[in-house]
Amino acid sequence: MTATLHRPRDLGAALDLLADAGDPMVYGGGTAVQILLKQGVLFASDLVDIAGVPGLADLAATPGGLRAGTMVTLRRMETDPLVQDRAPLLAQVYGRVANPRVRNTASVGGNIAHGDYRLDPPTALLVLDARIELSSSAGPRHVPIREFFTGFQETAVRRGEMVTAIDVPTQPLGGAAFTKLSSLAANDWPAASAAVLVTASATGGREVRIGLGALAPTPVYVAVPVPADASADDAVDAALAAAEPLIDPLPDVRGGVAHKRRLGRVAVADATRAAWADTPRDTPREEVPDDRRLTLRRLRRRH
Amino acid sequence: MTPIDLTVNGERRTVPVGDDDLLLDVLRELGHTSVREGCGVGACGACTVLADGHSVSSCLARAVRYDGVAITTADGLPTDDDVVEEFVAARAMQCGYCIPGFVLMGHELLAENPDATAAEIDAHLEGNICRCGTYLEIRTALQNVVARRRHDDMARRRHDDMAKESA
Amino acid sequence: MTVDSHSGVSAVGTDGGAVGERWARVDARAKVRGELRYAADEALRSCLDVVVTRSTRPHAVIESIDATRATQVDGVVDVVTGAELHAILGDAIFTGPAFADQPCLAVGKVRYVGEPVAAVIARGHAAARAGAEEVAVDYRELEPIHDVDAAVLGAPFVHDELRPSVVFGDLAHLHGIRDTNVNYEYVLRHGEPAAPPPGSTTVQHEFWCPPTHHVPIELPFTAAWRDGERLEILSTTQTPSYVRQSVADLLGIPLGKVRVRSAPLGGSFGAKMYDRLEPLAAALAWTRRTAVRIAVTREEAFLLTTRHGAAVTGSMTADADGTIVAADADVRYDTGAYADVGPRITAKSGMVASGPYKIAQAHVRSRCVYTNKPSAGPFRGFGVPQVTWSHESLVDELARVRGEDPAAFRRRNLLREGDVSVVGTPMHSADFVGCLDAVTAALDWDSPIERPTGRYRRGRGVAVGIKAVLTPTISNAVLQLNQDASATLLISTVDMGQGSDTIMAQIAAESLCLPEGSVRVVTADTDVTPYDTITAGSRSTYHSGNAVRKAADAMRDKLIDIAAARFGVPATDVKLTGDGLVSTQTQETASIPELLHGHFGARGTTLTSEAEFRTQWQPYDKQTGRSPQVTEHWFAGAAAAQLTVDTMTGRVHVEHLAIAGDVGRAINPALVEQQLTGAAVMGLGHALFDQMVFDEGQIVNGTLLDYQLPSIHDVPDKITPIVVENPHRTGPYGAKGVGETTIIPLAPAIANAVRDAVGIRFTRLPLTSERILDALSEEDS
Repeated sequence: MTATLHRPRDLGAALDLLADAGDPMVYGGGTAVQILLKQGVLFASDLVDIAGVPGLADLAATPGGLRAGTMVTLRRMETDPLVQDRAPLLAQVYGRVANPRVRNTASVGGNIAHGDYRLDPPTALLVLDARIELSSSAGPRHVPIREFFTGFQETAVRRGEMVTAIDVPTQPLGGAAFTKLSSLAANDWPAASAAVLVTASATGGREVRIGLGALAPTPVYVAVPVPADASADDAVDAALAAAEPLIDPLPDVRGGVAHKRRLGRVAVADATRAAWADTPRDTPREEVPDDRRLTLRRLRRRH
Repeated sequence: MTPIDLTVNGERRTVPVGDDDLLLDVLRELGHTSVREGCGVGACGACTVLADGHSVSSCLARAVRYDGVAITTADGLPTDDDVVEEFVAARAMQCGYCIPGFVLMGHELLAENPDATAAEIDAHLEGNICRCGTYLEIRTALQNVVARRRHDDMARRRHDDMAKESA
Repeated sequence: MTVDSHSGVSAVGTDGGAVGERWARVDARAKVRGELRYAADEALRSCLDVVVTRSTRPHAVIESIDATRATQVDGVVDVVTGAELHAILGDAIFTGPAFADQPCLAVGKVRYVGEPVAAVIARGHAAARAGAEEVAVDYRELEPIHDVDAAVLGAPFVHDELRPSVVFGDLAHLHGIRDTNVNYEYVLRHGEPAAPPPGSTTVQHEFWCPPTHHVPIELPFTAAWRDGERLEILSTTQTPSYVRQSVADLLGIPLGKVRVRSAPLGGSFGAKMYDRLEPLAAALAWTRRTAVRIAVTREEAFLLTTRHGAAVTGSMTADADGTIVAADADVRYDTGAYADVGPRITAKSGMVASGPYKIAQAHVRSRCVYTNKPSAGPFRGFGVPQVTWSHESLVDELARVRGEDPAAFRRRNLLREGDVSVVGTPMHSADFVGCLDAVTAALDWDSPIERPTGRYRRGRGVAVGIKAVLTPTISNAVLQLNQDASATLLISTVDMGQGSDTIMAQIAAESLCLPEGSVRVVTADTDVTPYDTITAGSRSTYHSGNAVRKAADAMRDKLIDIAAARFGVPATDVKLTGDGLVSTQTQETASIPELLHGHFGARGTTLTSEAEFRTQWQPYDKQTGRSPQVTEHWFAGAAAAQLTVDTMTGRVHVEHLAIAGDVGRAINPALVEQQLTGAAVMGLGHALFDQMVFDEGQIVNGTLLDYQLPSIHDVPDKITPIVVENPHRTGPYGAKGVGETTIIPLAPAIANAVRDAVGIRFTRLPLTSERILDALSEEDS
């Protein structure tokens, strides 16, 4: 079955198509859609190509962070100084997706709308508490990323809606790390991945935020408070205790449930240990002036 | 069919394409058979082209998306292309089928990062498969391009400095 | 890469300036720029596209096929079924190199998921694909059999009766045998079975190698058309001479009416040989009187052929002195739904299943077994890597159980020059000890390594391998010398990345003292290039190389005779040098162009020479499986690895891989090193993650998103290829082939290093992180 391709020139026209077509699908970067088409498992009647819609590929600073339009490529998220500066963890994680050709083409909106539980970017978006802008002909609404993934290959995107932007708060001070473990060839999909961010909490302690990929039917998130003077081992134990109940892997050629569970523990432990080690003892809370914050954050960059 | 304005290796032309037509097939029909299908899912890199300098898997790219875009294929590189020269010198080929894809990935990387290290080269080539196992020669070839460009750059600067002094 | 030449090389009369030189590949620049034309890149006459409808059942009777909806698809010209072709072609529709059991479209029954059931011919690939999806097939399901060991035991049977092909006389006795899935059995009996001597040590294990796929990055492609009463084929094939005969037999037309052209191949590794797309393309083009083209997707390519999964029950015994005294192997090759060349693999691998060791008593039983899976055929190594996995794990374990260094233990027991192997054929130009010494020296084997005791554990392992070259076979060569002293070489060897066009040019140039770039090798075309058995099994350098050398020597003699007449001296006084012909008596000289112009009195001419090279064997004894000359020569190789195991993730990281092969004499050392290295990288994939996964006969990972191949991140930190040279007495300039040598010992070398690192013996491939962690946690509990 061939789906009809539409190439709207403004957002209103795109949203009208999504509202009115029989079984529409947004055509963003197109990498995932083309693969599904080729495999004969895409059953859309209409493809709405949004490449010609102005403004959807904008990447801009916001007072609290940054905003990426749905058509910003993964590669730009990886390499743009704005993302590297305000959310270095996010830039790093986008840089680990698939390969450079996919990253040059795939878009941030399509990436999460795809809803694949193994994706890397959601792990970082979860710990950074990003917010997803969904638009329909009725107007925009916003969904926290932590409520976006609703089930296996299911998201909060409703019929007639599309992702139009992702708002990402500036990465809080403290250490951050991403661990991606493949169980077969090195460049394979992950069998387990974890993004970990250590932040200063209001009580003077710390919070270890954990985003997991490939370890449950959806990307999942949990945070756990840890005293600032805890040892790295204690921090890892706390992270593992918090993450374990969320780990509910799907068995496939990359490993059975028990194996992915083991790798999940390693991913959480390794990322937590690295992030904890990279968090200075005197990490201040968020109220510090912008200039100092920038200086400190650069220390946390790992590229 | 939609006419699109495609510049391939510097030559501009109008090409009628269907909505579903893949850039891979359009380029091959134009005679650019250096662009080849290997997996059909963007995982092997044999169909790599540069679109405005950025690498793309043409097996997953709809041609209508490339209206007004400048495409580079390996067969259109200049005859004295330094990446090609270093691949030849390093014997970075066996069956040769995948090699044009590696050459273009190398071009993209070194345009963005002229000082690419071995690890950065590997990271950029992670999605290209050479089933003959020629990876070490390919890495060497790109390291040699880095060194050659650095050397040429220094020579050019020295030459410019001398020109300035004598002026 | 580090390179050194290990053994002493005796110069076998080379002064032509070509043999032993690191000439660039003849097509190097064209390959890098993407200008080399592979089969699908050629401009062809207008062809209709063919896409097949594939079986969704592993084992079923075809009750009916309804093509009504398919023929209504815009662009569809015709839909053809196996029954229709069978009605026209009769039982000739069943083809295959060892057994004539495989139809190009299923006739009556399907035997694996993905088997072609109907062919849709259409204007354009998209229309053909759309049509193929609309063909409705009604099946009556039969009980399938998926497991090789279950298939050995009995029903259900994949075939009603065995159908050996007419090609191999020694298979004739199998004709018509019913009620079995075992289509061939090879037995080797050497020495008298005896009770193990006092103080001896025996190790025994069950081994498993899964099916794998070749995945050459170039996809298979075949075009075929009628040219009057002739059939022409352009195909991605390693075996144009075989295909010509096979297609002529299929269509019932004279061989001379079939023309098969090949093209440079974008890799093959055994995937593109014997009957692949050619029978279907030929049958459709011939019976429908049209030009057709079949270009398959990667997903379809996975269904065309595979490497045999193999189970081996093996044991090995050493006496108190550490001499291997007995070895036993029971090998079951899973050949899938069609035998292909599986019976040949079963015998060729069975004869080396106890390894390259001096053993007083050996017993091997090697069986080829049908199951309801895609057919398995030749793959780089021809079944030998599967048995090497067994004998090199066993010998390693035997050494360790005895508390001996695994390299020293092997060294003491390895076959040496002149030794007779368990199969009865003596060793020559197969320096196992030299290969073993070379790879262990590269790893500085005798110095202890740092062995951390934490998360990462380090270990070293070694393995050797033996394989026989395909015998008997034949190669022909025609050499044309042009008036400008350039030459054109006509052979049917197919360059698929191994560099045969360059190697053959060097061999031809050597005799004639021609410079680099002066010999053009013509791409295989059965209308033009002479018969060659196949390009496979590492046979070309030796066989085609010998034919080329003989043709070039004959050409040199012709030139010398002409020069002798010109100079007025005896032929024995004339030498051919890089500057042309020289009389040693008168010092008179003439360049080749001068000589030819003078002799023929014409502006142009072509001087032609030709030669044939054949090898003979003595068939093995039916009772003992032994023969004093079972093969023309042996391949010897070794691999040694140093690696770390991450005991938290189960991942293996190879720090240094050294590989060596005795190539007799390296015609082009640079190309030899690439073959050694390339085969090792492929073998590393087989060791660690590369496998086809099936669920109820259905491939689970049949796309490159899921199938695992080594990427640049998977190659070892360091690879040391070592060329070992013990010239073969009848090789061209002493040379033998090298394409398979290092894939053979690779997986056991890795597993032996993992054993060294973590103390666990793995018997099932691949060594995935899951398998390693499972074993480590079992060890803990």
